[in-house]
Amino acid sequence: MTLINDFPQKAVIVTLVNEMAKIEGWCGETHIQKTTYFLKRLLGVPLAYEFVMYKHGPYSFDLHDDLTGMRANRFLKTEPRYPYGPSFRQGDLGSVVTTKFPQSPQRFKNQIDFIAQELGGKRVMELERLATAMYITLDEGYVQSNVDDRAQRIRELKPHVSFESAQDAVQRVDDLRDRAKSQRLILAPYD
Amino acid sequence: MLPKYVHEIRDPIHVFIRLISDERQVVDSPAFQRLRHIHQLALSYLVYPGATHKRFEHALGTMELATKVFDIVTNPSNLHERARSLIPEISQSEAQLGYWRQVLRMAALCHDIGHLPFSHAAEKDLLPEGWNHERITVEIIKSAEMREIWDGMIPPLHANHIAKIAVGKKKLPDEEYTLWEAILSEIIVSDAFGVDRIDYLLRDSHHAGVGYGKFDHHRLLDTMMILPTTQESDELDLGVQMGGLHSAEALLLARYFMYTQVYYHHIRRIYDRHLIEFLRSSLCEGKFPTSHKEMLRHNDVTVLNAMIEANADSSKAGSVHARRIIRREHFKRVYSKNPAAIANNLDIVKTICDGLKERYGQENVIRDSLEPKSESLHFPVLDHQDRIVSSDFLSSVLRRIPEAEFDSIYVHPDKEADASKWLESNIEELLRQSSEEEK
Repeated sequence: MTLINDFPQKAVIVTLVNEMAKIEGWCGETHIQKTTYFLKRLLGVPLAYEFVMYKHGPYSFDLHDDLTGMRANRFLKTEPRYPYGPSFRQGDLGSVVTTKFPQSPQRFKNQIDFIAQELGGKRVMELERLATAMYITLDEGYVQSNVDDRAQRIRELKPHVSFESAQDAVQRVDDLRDRAKSQRLILAPYD
Repeated sequence: MLPKYVHEIRDPIHVFIRLISDERQVVDSPAFQRLRHIHQLALSYLVYPGATHKRFEHALGTMELATKVFDIVTNPSNLHERARSLIPEISQSEAQLGYWRQVLRMAALCHDIGHLPFSHAAEKDLLPEGWNHERITVEIIKSAEMREIWDGMIPPLHANHIAKIAVGKKKLPDEEYTLWEAILSEIIVSDAFGVDRIDYLLRDSHHAGVGYGKFDHHRLLDTMMILPTTQESDELDLGVQMGGLHSAEALLLARYFMYTQVYYHHIRRIYDRHLIEFLRSSLCEGKFPTSHKEMLRHNDVTVLNAMIEANADSSKAGSVHARRIIRREHFKRVYSKNPAAIANNLDIVKTICDGLKERYGQENVIRDSLEPKSESLHFPVLDHQDRIVSSDFLSSVLRRIPEAEFDSIYVHPDKEADASKWLESNIEELLRQSSEEEK
């Protein structure tokens, strides 16, 4: 599948933010980072953003830059929310990009809806843990490994996470993967 | 008389910068001395005549500030309990903490050591795909010549630690960073409070003669802490105590003003573009070498000499571009991005640029475009009740700072009047040529 970038990719992000806003009031950068990561790596939506493992789990510096640009272009705006960081919302020109570039949001609508439904209501710490478990599973070649091995790897990266909590995160991403498979939402083979 | 162990260097921003003899070996190395010949602000001195300062003093200033921040955020009285529990390195012995302090100082000192001539001006276009100044910085830090210096220090420093902390995870995506290493690198490169930024804003503002870049950095530094990102979070970021919030606001406003007034000044930007064209014409195969040994032979002096030669002799490569800079015959701006126009045509600048190129020829039109600089205007703040609250909630000033961006079109000076007239007559039609997907 050809990678989508530029305006079509921005249209996907604006759509994702809109769907997330329907589920949960707060849609901070971490929410966008982690759900975009799941959209790309779990479901195979061909976004051009590159993700690396950083302090708070998988993170895309490209996406961070793009969010800045999308705020500058008023595709997105932010609102304060006590005591957390800013919450993203569609900006006054957000509908311009989704109207003029509707194909990608339409083509990947089921994937966007699935991710927003499954992850939209999660708290930041939970998202970070789940995304880290997914990263280890899909990006570090642990896809065939058992739950304990992957939980151990999470502990190596984040020593403050308990083994039980790491196991729980791995099991939950496996469940998520199974649900995505059963709904035939996975677009590219990953294992 | 005993040999001198601590050396002082006078500095217009920090008054004195002190370094020990081991560190002076780094400063005296050919790679670091080359920074004396790299302008901090490229050709900005053609617009702001005072802006002739070099990377050399910025690197020293960054080291000075990084040390201050390290001493403040690791001071036991400034440690948040979660930082203490999540970063075991912070509670290590004085000697072990001292190792990291020394690594941070050297990382800050060397963070720009791989810069190309004229700093950022030419970087993107004149290095092969996958290369940037940070990658060259890492190569230099890990070179045999520098390893000899690191190995001779007491205690010896690992080149890889210095390299990771000097350039940060963004530029070394394949390296694994511990939380402690990530925090140390953010002391230098972070979006919000990186000391690289603090030094360049203060220093550039001072030399350019514009007041916009000044802010109360003493207060800001004194209030910095390693804090959880939210009240419940186990993740850490650099933040401030409540008393430093106004200084942080001032820093981020200073950054916005410096970008709009100095770094993105439209004449400075077009000189950069002429410089790139000159270098593309005059360098071997149109690129700088990536071997750090080769790179060290190139600096602003060698480029300026070539430019002066090319200006005097029209048969020399790049002569036309050299003349534009030396004789100040730069292209003139005829359009810059207008957010209101985007509502009609998302890609209005490209549409106009294509129209102008069709009318006046490719060689007479230049588009210069920079994405808004990524920034984190939100960071954790420890309020008066010892709660962690986002700066975004506490500061309406931060919420209102716009992103600085730049997207402009320039034409040959002889075409300026006609192009402006053409644009005025055709803008409505160009706005209607909306970019969208084929249905």
